Amino acid sequence: MFRLNGRDVRVEPRVGERLSEALRERLGARDVKVGCNAGDCGACTVLVDRAPVCACLMPAQQAAGCEVETLAGLVAHEPLASDLARRFEGQGAAQCGICTPGMMVSAVALLREAPAPSEGQVMDALAGVLCRCTGYRKIVDAVMGRAPGAVADAEGHTGAAIEKLDGRAKVTGKERFGDDVAPVDALIIKVIRSPHPHARFTLGDLEGFAAREGVEAILTASDVPGVNLFGTIPGFVDQPVFAEGVVRFRGEAVAAVVGRADVMASFDPARFPVEWEVLPDVQGMADAMADGAPQLHPDRAGNVMCGGFVAHGDVGAALERAAVVAEGVFETGFVEHAYIEPEAGFAQVVDGRVEVYACTQAPVMDLDTLSEVLGMERARIRVVPTATGGGFGSKLDVSVQPYLAIAALKTGQPVRITYERGESMQSTTKRHPSRMHVRIGADAEGRISGLRFDGLFNTGAYASWGPTVANRVPVHASGPYAVGDYRAEAQGIHTHCPPSGAFRGFGVPQAAVAQESLFDELADRLGIDRLEFRMRNALANGVPTVCGQVFAQGVGIRACLEALRPAWESERAEAARINAGDGPVRRGVGVAAGWYGCGNTSLPNPSTIKAGVRADGRIVLHQGAADIGQGANTVIAQIFATALGVPVSRLDLVGGDTDVTPDAGKTSASRQTFVSGNAARLAGEALRAQILQRVNAGEEALIVPGADAFEIREGAGVHRLDLTALEPDAEGYVMRVAESYDPPTRPLDENGQGHPYAQFGYAAHLCVLDVDMRLGTVRPVRFVAAHDVGHAVNPLLIEGQVEGGIAQGMGMALMEEYLPGRTENLHDYLIPTIGDMPPVETLIIEEPDAHGPYGAKGLGEHVLIPTAPAILNAIRDATGVQMRRLPVTPARLRAAMGVAGHA
Amino acid sequence: MRFETPTSVDQAVALLAADPEARLLAGGTDLLVRLRAGNIAPSTIIDIKRIAEMTVISQEDGGWRIGAAVPSAEMNEHAALKADWPGVVESADLIGSTQIQGRATLAGNLCNASPAADSVPAMVAAGATARIAGPDGTRDVAVEDIPTGVGKTSLGKGELVTSIHLPPKPARSGDAYLRFIPRTEMDIAVVGCGIYVTLDDQGKISDARVALGAVAPTVILSQSCADTLIGTAGDDAALDALAAAASAEAKPIDDKRGTIAFRKDVAGVLAKRAARIALARARGDS
Repeated sequence: MFRLNGRDVRVEPRVGERLSEALRERLGARDVKVGCNAGDCGACTVLVDRAPVCACLMPAQQAAGCEVETLAGLVAHEPLASDLARRFEGQGAAQCGICTPGMMVSAVALLREAPAPSEGQVMDALAGVLCRCTGYRKIVDAVMGRAPGAVADAEGHTGAAIEKLDGRAKVTGKERFGDDVAPVDALIIKVIRSPHPHARFTLGDLEGFAAREGVEAILTASDVPGVNLFGTIPGFVDQPVFAEGVVRFRGEAVAAVVGRADVMASFDPARFPVEWEVLPDVQGMADAMADGAPQLHPDRAGNVMCGGFVAHGDVGAALERAAVVAEGVFETGFVEHAYIEPEAGFAQVVDGRVEVYACTQAPVMDLDTLSEVLGMERARIRVVPTATGGGFGSKLDVSVQPYLAIAALKTGQPVRITYERGESMQSTTKRHPSRMHVRIGADAEGRISGLRFDGLFNTGAYASWGPTVANRVPVHASGPYAVGDYRAEAQGIHTHCPPSGAFRGFGVPQAAVAQESLFDELADRLGIDRLEFRMRNALANGVPTVCGQVFAQGVGIRACLEALRPAWESERAEAARINAGDGPVRRGVGVAAGWYGCGNTSLPNPSTIKAGVRADGRIVLHQGAADIGQGANTVIAQIFATALGVPVSRLDLVGGDTDVTPDAGKTSASRQTFVSGNAARLAGEALRAQILQRVNAGEEALIVPGADAFEIREGAGVHRLDLTALEPDAEGYVMRVAESYDPPTRPLDENGQGHPYAQFGYAAHLCVLDVDMRLGTVRPVRFVAAHDVGHAVNPLLIEGQVEGGIAQGMGMALMEEYLPGRTENLHDYLIPTIGDMPPVETLIIEEPDAHGPYGAKGLGEHVLIPTAPAILNAIRDATGVQMRRLPVTPARLRAAMGVAGHA
Repeated sequence: MRFETPTSVDQAVALLAADPEARLLAGGTDLLVRLRAGNIAPSTIIDIKRIAEMTVISQEDGGWRIGAAVPSAEMNEHAALKADWPGVVESADLIGSTQIQGRATLAGNLCNASPAADSVPAMVAAGATARIAGPDGTRDVAVEDIPTGVGKTSLGKGELVTSIHLPPKPARSGDAYLRFIPRTEMDIAVVGCGIYVTLDDQGKISDARVALGAVAPTVILSQSCADTLIGTAGDDAALDALAAAASAEAKPIDDKRGTIAFRKDVAGVLAKRAARIALARARGDS
């Protein structure tokens, strides 16, 4: 018995039941989010007698007699909290929104005590809440009540920094994520996973086990109605839903148990009847490629999954004649996506059709996979994306979806599943570890004469998006520079590790680390300023890329580099001043650049956007691009509204539901603003043309939507389009359009020559940091980030992407390394906290792209590509040490400084 | 599993003595994680937060008695306690986030017996004692004698820590705690160092205690480190000797958080930096 948001409640929790579970499942307070169940992420923060606590660490019994407050209650009842909600919206401080309840509840506790807190107080109060999207700065701004970044703009067309159109639910606790949609009586699925990286296994008496445990069903490979495989790339669909006889990585699924919630509460997977015969495994690429190594897939000799290759000119000769050659081997480790929302969802069978509700980046690909796995026609499957609490690439692959669908079909009852943090980390994809050998030559004037890149990428046990990484890296390994003589090869190598897949940048961030580090070395050896060296080699309009592709417009890298020059000069001078003193801290300044091709590599990836007008004047936008926090729901609506010529506030948004919204492709490859944005532009233009045509108005006419009728104003004349006079179609629309866009690309030949992407985006980052020379700790103090976005559809959301990308790049550079079996939680796997994140200045460059909507380019992945190399170059600037292995932990940096004579 | 809420120490001792599988619950910040992970499956959970005497901070003979159920946030808000033993209070303030500090306790941090526990080296440096209640009555034990190994304590059957006692703070004394983590906050110590010094009226160090955490299975109270300071003015040469002694005393393991060589080196750096803070406090400079 306690008070919840001002009312008395009574629950009978199990002994040891967490307050978070009691609140969510017994009291319906699903605004309390659970990210880790270990007090590491803070998403479940609630106030108990006005003090913030992790509801996952407090037994429900201990709440007896207490006053418990959650976000939904605070925002509903307390002006301070509802003001804070408005401030979060005005700053774009909620991206995906999964951490927002924890952030806001923690902030309310602070603001009650300190209405005008200092930045230090804010950082202290929010330090226990992890965010993986925003880079924290906008959250700090919101709590401090700084002037909002959003503008009030009546039209809300492209170029306007409007608030997110779907932001309200995220700041009021009403957003529903993967774990928030299931009814309380849904059966619970628990996956049985391998504790071994490589083992044969035999299942025991499952029927007897099910009877003893009182569970409803046990699922194994034999319960998969269709093909027991999933994957993402044609020809590489190789991962079983349930392993058959052998497992290839720790955490691989062998079975699942489905039971009532009360039964599953005491279910112990250790009792599941399975016998393991442990087999030799390979964790590293060298071991996997050695003679006699165990082979993961019989058709992939030497554990080589596949490779990618780009060559242009004669790199051997070019390196021979170079005045200077820099060479290095660079290594990076697994990086975990660490979104705060573990994979979760719910499924039910309705009229013989299976409906799957889950967090995802790619609802239609999920449907494609389910159709194969279930052996079921597509029309009998419905995929409804929930809000997605962060994705960053990993939620492109299916995770919970097959288990949900199979369990719902087998039991005929509603079913739900939520991954534990540990199984999320064990079983879902990672960023590829890499080993890259790179040689770059330059002439005496500092022009790159040749670049050779040989990279191996640990793709883990199954292919996932590994082939994409292998193909993308050779196209991008030159960086955004003119390199005449070039040879780049990348291979994906199988190991008994979790599958590596898509993670913001598809291998390009790793390649940029090697190339940009060696650029600094070349510049120094030639005595050329490091920024100037990059300017000299930057790509330009009319200059071919390493694939021989020539862009007549929109190559914005030079403008990005130029934009960093004032900060480069002032920060270098400040660093020199600081370093003239003694003391253990030295300052460094680093710069690095990057580029990224938007959309699939030389493959079709169309998007379709549909819209309609109802007789009552409502304009409905069917927008299927998954918004995982980045802002597609807002950006695509802004583009559509611009093309149609109505205020964005006039649109009703319908999200991705495979029954009602056409395929806008996957939220991947920085393609949604570009590709789905173009489809939205075409749809808006088509609807506009239809409206104008009906009243015979000219192209410049103004559409003024009203109820029942639209006015079309042209000069002094006004046409009236009576919507009620039009015949509604089967969907109730009196006018309806659906338009598709597919970027124009051309295949790559055997040397990787062709047109891999219709557009590239460009970026350059500057990092200022302090190194404690005695401890090896690295503390970034400022970033300046210049991004060529072609046309800034929404500058506020651009800043959000940049700040969040930098936080992830910083994690990759300094602290993040996933080690199977050793870092399967958020206290052993460290991601940046609020205190780690320095201010970021975002400089938006607009070099319009020939194909992008209103010239716009993609951005989502560009934002972290230059970050890690800029940090490494700043570390080298401060210490003189070039770090070639990521992450640069203090122990590694100190060891390298010892080698370099800085003991 | 049963959930018990005793309201007196005697009741708690009786419950604990009657059931060897029972577990104590104070803030729950360690217990619930271990329950969830399936590491432990206790028959009874005994919530000590309803035992009034265990929830208060009180002055005792010029020192401080901190109840075993007092959350670290309460210590941080206690101005007089913080003025006397800033190093101890700051160490407790490093345990997790605000959310954790509202729940976590000194006694829980001690009895969880993690080698990386932040508050333990600070308490040991301060000369803290733990009061233990059990079937045979109460006894006071030096904090450094409580943990006996990773996850193991010297507590007997039916015994629990009811409070921590910090001794009266002598004139011209100061304490400090520093830890090393790779991230800014919210992490487990890779190395921790607690230092306490007293100065004589000439400004020379007359007493010192140096405790190292996370560099051995249990906290190290190092006489050799203390000896480098005692009799000196805490000058650079003494601090360099302290750093060398701390590096030599540290017996860490290699793991993902740091190598042996790195941890030994960091132990020296932290000892030196913590000593500077403790000295400044003893001199009244901060």
